[in-house]
Amino acid sequence: MNDMQWTPIGPSEPVPPPLPPSRVDFSGNRTGFRKMVTKGAMLELVTFGFYRFWLVTDIRRHLWSNTAIDGDAAEYTGRGKELLIGFLFALAILMPIYLAYFLVGIEFERWQGFASTPLFISFYAFGQFAIFRARRYRLTRTVWRGVRFWMDGSGWAYSFRAMLWGLLVFLTLGLALPWREASLERYKMRHTHFGDLQGDFEGDGWAFFKRGWWLWLLTPLAIVIFPAAPFLYAEFKAREWRWWLDGIRIGGVSLSSSLPHNAFYGLYWKVIGWWLLLSVLFGFYLAGAAGLVAAAGVSIAGPDAIGRSIPLLSMMVIGYFALALALNVVMRMYLQRDIWVKVLETVEVHNIGAAADVRASGELASALGEGFADGLDVAGF
Amino acid sequence: MSDASAEAPPQSAKPTVFFDGVSSRRRQVTLTLGDALDILEPGVTPVRWVYADIRRADSPPAILRLTSTSAPPLARLEIRDIALAAEIVARCLRLDEHQTTRRSVAKIVGWSVAAAVSIVCVVLFGVPLAADRLAPLVPKPIERRIGDASEVQVKTIFGRESCSDPAGQAAFSKLVNRLRDAAGLDDDSMTAGVLPSSVPNAFALPGGKVFVLNALLDKADNPDEIAGILAHELGHLKHHDNMRGLIYNGGTSFLIGLLFGDVTGSSAVIFASRSLVEASYSREAETNADTFAIDIMHKLGRSPKPAAELMFRITGKEGGSGFTILASHPLTEDRLARMTKEDHPASGPPLLTDKEWQALKGICGSAKI
Repeated sequence: MNDMQWTPIGPSEPVPPPLPPSRVDFSGNRTGFRKMVTKGAMLELVTFGFYRFWLVTDIRRHLWSNTAIDGDAAEYTGRGKELLIGFLFALAILMPIYLAYFLVGIEFERWQGFASTPLFISFYAFGQFAIFRARRYRLTRTVWRGVRFWMDGSGWAYSFRAMLWGLLVFLTLGLALPWREASLERYKMRHTHFGDLQGDFEGDGWAFFKRGWWLWLLTPLAIVIFPAAPFLYAEFKAREWRWWLDGIRIGGVSLSSSLPHNAFYGLYWKVIGWWLLLSVLFGFYLAGAAGLVAAAGVSIAGPDAIGRSIPLLSMMVIGYFALALALNVVMRMYLQRDIWVKVLETVEVHNIGAAADVRASGELASALGEGFADGLDVAGF
Repeated sequence: MSDASAEAPPQSAKPTVFFDGVSSRRRQVTLTLGDALDILEPGVTPVRWVYADIRRADSPPAILRLTSTSAPPLARLEIRDIALAAEIVARCLRLDEHQTTRRSVAKIVGWSVAAAVSIVCVVLFGVPLAADRLAPLVPKPIERRIGDASEVQVKTIFGRESCSDPAGQAAFSKLVNRLRDAAGLDDDSMTAGVLPSSVPNAFALPGGKVFVLNALLDKADNPDEIAGILAHELGHLKHHDNMRGLIYNGGTSFLIGLLFGDVTGSSAVIFASRSLVEASYSREAETNADTFAIDIMHKLGRSPKPAAELMFRITGKEGGSGFTILASHPLTEDRLARMTKEDHPASGPPLLTDKEWQALKGICGSAKI
């Protein structure tokens, strides 16, 4: 406190040297979020999905800006238009790649039937690259206390690691998964920065393995007994989240989480419940539509049947879209927002003082990575 | 100077925090609302934000977070006092100018609909046209390479070698050659063979390869039945249907995928709409191949009806079984009806003698699959 310039005017702020862990608060309104995603889903429908870039942006803006660490809320500065442009650029790059894939595939097939199947792996590699680059885009749009996060490192180096680890996981029937996650997370976090603070990941595969090995043993059981699967998956996800959060370091700041192992049971079952309910409704709707068409005296059999099945088909399509729309809302509510909130309320931030005076640095990354991820249908965190 | 310049806004217990966008330091500041917004921190040069440059940034509900277009892009001013926030909002007339408004959403919707309409038009009119124009232009070697690749696949599925009983081969060649001459196809542009399989079918591959599966021969009662089906496959070759289908399917699946992107359940929508447009395209190609087959059979003085009868014996009545709009071929009963209409009494010589016909039926030897 010898620096007078820094002393604030007004009620003096206590500055205890050993800071207690600070909490992460979420102030978002659930109803507001529901209205946002419902409206977004409808707009997605009328725009044939093009609205997804803006909806994803709105969701992130909501979640980020309502998440306060040590009393200061974060901010997401990305915009939908960037995602659209990134997507269009990614398409322009993917198109010749698809064509090349097709031509190389033909040469392989000439040599041996179905020899081109392994070429599919190259798309997996590309997907990993996209995951890394998409993460970079999101991080550089994440701002806290007027300083942005950013990332260096190479998407291809990451993809190479992910491929090798993927092979190992495949060969060990999934047992190597904890070490894969630890290694990849280390790569990602060590290339993550907040201003001039460098990130790190201290979780190790062995710790994760000890927390979840029995889940691996039970997996065959879950395939046989259907109701066990959501429990098992919820257990796995909760353990994974907690292990991941415990390992995160940025400069001298560290995180810890007390997420209980059964935290996600309710969420997954709610999603399944909604899914069943909506499917039943959809079933009734279809039956009703078929009945209506039959009552109108239109038979789908006999000559020229092709032309006459159109009314029923269009009714099915409308019902299907309504179903997809509702499921969209349900998944975003429970699997995005509620999980986010549930995880955040268990997080503690230690030694946040280390981030009190960080110098801003790092450049904005383009949304091309997100575009690739969209074009290849991969998602990552 | 306006009279507001000296006005000191009430500083309440809720602190105003300033982040200068260069460091993460949390600066407690006081504000002076004059001609412009002055951000004052003791001992530090005041920062001045012009009201016209001030924009709102995303924030939690209880906080007004501001940024300025002339300040470092990440500089943020956070006002927690409601009264002070209201005063500032009243002065910043362009506060929400950059936000998504109803109009910008309408613009997104408008452009998306325009993009969708254009994609649909391209799928319905552009791609078929491109496929029709491009398919004949695909260089023969490329077509043959694609054909070779699919031949390797086919032979992996149906067994390695085509059937090679010499007498059967001779009969088959005779039949194929007569049809080919009538069809006006080049000598070197096609190869044909019989593959051992228990599936009664025949198909054409790119690069002029026609294959008949042995089970079709088993089910056939006379040469005209097989000839009609071979003529149909020659029609596909003549019309470059394989390359057309390849270009068409590649183009539409790309465009439809582009249209629906990653909406939930989009893979089902993509699959369904692809199946729908591809089936209708394929039905059209099949109908054209039937027309071609009818012409060839008439040219040879034979009736096209037996081939349709053979198909009908194999598939039975198709209408009423599921969604016929997704069928890749016209319904067999419709095809039979059409071929029956074109049924003329035979005016030409039989295509094969009885002996040749028996040899053809035995082309795969006695080995039954």
